[in-house]
Amino acid sequence: MSLLEISGLEVAYGVQRVIRGISLNVAEGEFAALVGPNGHGKTTVLRAISGLARAKAGGIRLAGQPLTGLRPDRIVAAGVIHVPQGDLLFPGMSVLDNLRMGAYLPEAARDEAQRLDEIFTLLPKLRDRQSQIASTLSGGERRMVGIGRGLMAGGRILMLDEPSLGLAPIVIDQIYELVQALAKSGRTILVVEENAIRIADMADRMHLLDNGAIAWSGTGREFLSSPEIFATYLGG
Amino acid sequence: MIRNPIKRDVLIAVVLFALMLAVPLLTGTRYVLTQLTVFFIWAVVASQWNLVLGVAGIFSLAQMALFAVGAYATAMLAYYIGLMLPAAMLLAALVTVGVSLVIGFACLRLKGPYVALLTLAIGQVMYLLVVNDTACFTMPASGCLPLFGGARGFSRFGDLGFRDLLGSKWYIGHYYTGLVLLLAAQLFCIAIIHGPLGLAFRGLRDNPGLALARGVSRMRYQLWVFGLSAFFTGLAGAFHAAQFGVVGPTAFAFAMLLFILAMIVVGGLGTTWGPLIGAALLMWADEGLREVSDWREIGIGFVLAACVILFPKGLAGIRLRSGRGPDPRQDAPPAPPPHTRPSATPGAGPAATG
Amino acid sequence: MDVATQILISGLTLGAIYAVSTIGLALIYGALNMLNMAQGGLLALGGYIAMWGMQAMGWPAPVAALAAMAAGTLAGGMIFVAAARPMLGGEGFETRIFIATIGIGLMLESVILKLFGPQPQAQSLKLEGGFMLGRVSLPLQNILIFVTALLMLVLVAGLLNRSRLGRAIRATSMNRDAAQLMGVPIRRIYLTILMLSGALAALSGIMISSMSGLLPNMGADPMLKAFIICVVAGLGNVPGAALTAFAIGMLEAVIQYIFGVQYAFAILLCLVIAVLIWRPQGVFGQKEVVRL
Repeated sequence: MSLLEISGLEVAYGVQRVIRGISLNVAEGEFAALVGPNGHGKTTVLRAISGLARAKAGGIRLAGQPLTGLRPDRIVAAGVIHVPQGDLLFPGMSVLDNLRMGAYLPEAARDEAQRLDEIFTLLPKLRDRQSQIASTLSGGERRMVGIGRGLMAGGRILMLDEPSLGLAPIVIDQIYELVQALAKSGRTILVVEENAIRIADMADRMHLLDNGAIAWSGTGREFLSSPEIFATYLGG
Repeated sequence: MIRNPIKRDVLIAVVLFALMLAVPLLTGTRYVLTQLTVFFIWAVVASQWNLVLGVAGIFSLAQMALFAVGAYATAMLAYYIGLMLPAAMLLAALVTVGVSLVIGFACLRLKGPYVALLTLAIGQVMYLLVVNDTACFTMPASGCLPLFGGARGFSRFGDLGFRDLLGSKWYIGHYYTGLVLLLAAQLFCIAIIHGPLGLAFRGLRDNPGLALARGVSRMRYQLWVFGLSAFFTGLAGAFHAAQFGVVGPTAFAFAMLLFILAMIVVGGLGTTWGPLIGAALLMWADEGLREVSDWREIGIGFVLAACVILFPKGLAGIRLRSGRGPDPRQDAPPAPPPHTRPSATPGAGPAATG
Repeated sequence: MDVATQILISGLTLGAIYAVSTIGLALIYGALNMLNMAQGGLLALGGYIAMWGMQAMGWPAPVAALAAMAAGTLAGGMIFVAAARPMLGGEGFETRIFIATIGIGLMLESVILKLFGPQPQAQSLKLEGGFMLGRVSLPLQNILIFVTALLMLVLVAGLLNRSRLGRAIRATSMNRDAAQLMGVPIRRIYLTILMLSGALAALSGIMISSMSGLLPNMGADPMLKAFIICVVAGLGNVPGAALTAFAIGMLEAVIQYIFGVQYAFAILLCLVIAVLIWRPQGVFGQKEVVRL
């Protein structure tokens, strides 16, 4: 049974169709990755799922419940957590206030104290930085706050948009360790990543997005063992 | 139909011009011709403001201030120096260009809403300086006259000479002067919109990155449009001064600013013919609603808000989509406008009272 | 010394009046990128409703003030529902909403003109009397204005910094997309902001009219001043706007004393133009700061 079902999704900016009828499923507890070169619509898929971009056609369902046409705040309430590209923290707020914004919805607010504790255990650095203003954090710290803020909401599926973007290699490793730990704990995760090779040995399932359409789907192992994919889509 | 948009628009302009040439032969009524003359003036101001606002994307509210500069410069050059009015008008238009460049340099580095507020503030400063100046500069027979005319303004600074030429039919001379002015201004608009400047702005709007990479400097082009359109705006102000023989601080009135803005918005911001359609429509509505003058202000407010909410591209946008050639003066008085929706509500400001 | 006291009193009063109406504008711009040009109409609405409540209905002053604020809240809400919401996310929102609110402001003023007439009237909601501070008289009305304004500022600051709603408002103005991803219903936040700003404008309108009388277009100059304060502070910066309001109020009092009342506004505008040329982003430069 798939938790997230996308069928025939189309998204257009003005007259330009960016997403041209894609279908993909993410199973409960699965670690899925949406990979492909930049500018081919990966971010747009996530924005369409979370309601920031309007779907022109097609359906999006979470555990059978249709999400298309709902406003973003209702989609969050339904359980879709979207950690956007570049974090989009609230720059003038403290780390703690940023995290608390993650638990804005009443259902999440009830568990605020407990979740905060969990996140501080998972990311001890944030406990030390909790009163610091977000705009003064380093790139890696920001990413952690971004992910932590997403986790505060609970939710049923965690969507991460390019969690490695703009970070130093050592910090990228830390972030992906965190993502893997989250996946192991049973969370359903959908990661958007440009660097397919980095994620291939972690992800349960890979979806290759090319020019607004899904060009290939399979396991990470299959991905790594198909030379034609490398040749065609990754220029290697 | 003609495919080339420049040829098409020029043709429309020339045909309309020819039609309007014949109007004084058909109707000799002074009232109608005077009203049309006033329409020419506001149509020029609207079309030039549209270039600034809709084509170049400069959120400037200095248009009426520039108009007033043209009017005041004409009156002052004629009154103090004794220049012939046509010469004073041309000189005044150049003065307006100079003032607009100063304003442009100060404003164009700013972001949209800052430009709007700053230009509004500049107009307000000019108004306050004119009105609050009570020190006498000269003492004509009529009493104390401050340098900028004070609250009373200037009068008796000469005319265009049509009274000597045509006698009691002088207003026909003004009619043709206004018509030529509008034709020139509209041809200028067509040249800007379809020419390299218009192309550059379209490029900046559609793909800012690419346009900038190709060396399109937004501010330089904006300054060009701002300065050039100020020429015709100043000329319109100068002609307004000549038409009515008085120049006063009412030229700065916020209500007038709104009235012109409404013309542009109703007609279609950024379109070639929208401002003229809007000017014709709103002046016609203003005329028609003279008896229920209480409701005019409410009406103009309503038209302004409703149009911008319901028709973001204005009436010209609607008409172009339905495939009909835009014909601004179809709507001119006394013919009824084809689109009754905005005018179903009372609309307009102190248009003809100038 | 007496002169300094006099300037201080009138400067603080002016600053208090400006601050109340300006923070509403700053909130709206911060969250929606919207310049609410109907503010002038809202100021007049507040002033007239308070006067009408006391004169025609015989309400006590606090009730009249609350009624005025309720009317402002309603009008602000209607501006969002009728004008801003249909355009949200559309092309050229900033320009279109600017023009639409000009239209709405004009309608508000014209309706007031039609109902109450063009002649100036006195604001009934006004404290008479005062006491002497040395040789300078300190009218009770000025004290009332100052205290009310301070109270409102503290209330708004508390709302923004200590409440869930306030955090949502600040989040929305810092990053619209991120706020939505946290589950903030931004449309409802926008509506709330416009209603709040309408109430503040109505209150400010009562204050203005208690000093200079009621006229249908009484809001025009104060609105321009409020925008100038926003621009000088940096559009959307709420605490900066409150501070700047008091600074401009003091400055205006000084200019009025030195150069005379008729030049105060013109000189103020020239100063502002100079400031903007010097710092195009406003004095409190950075964007996306909403703290009080």
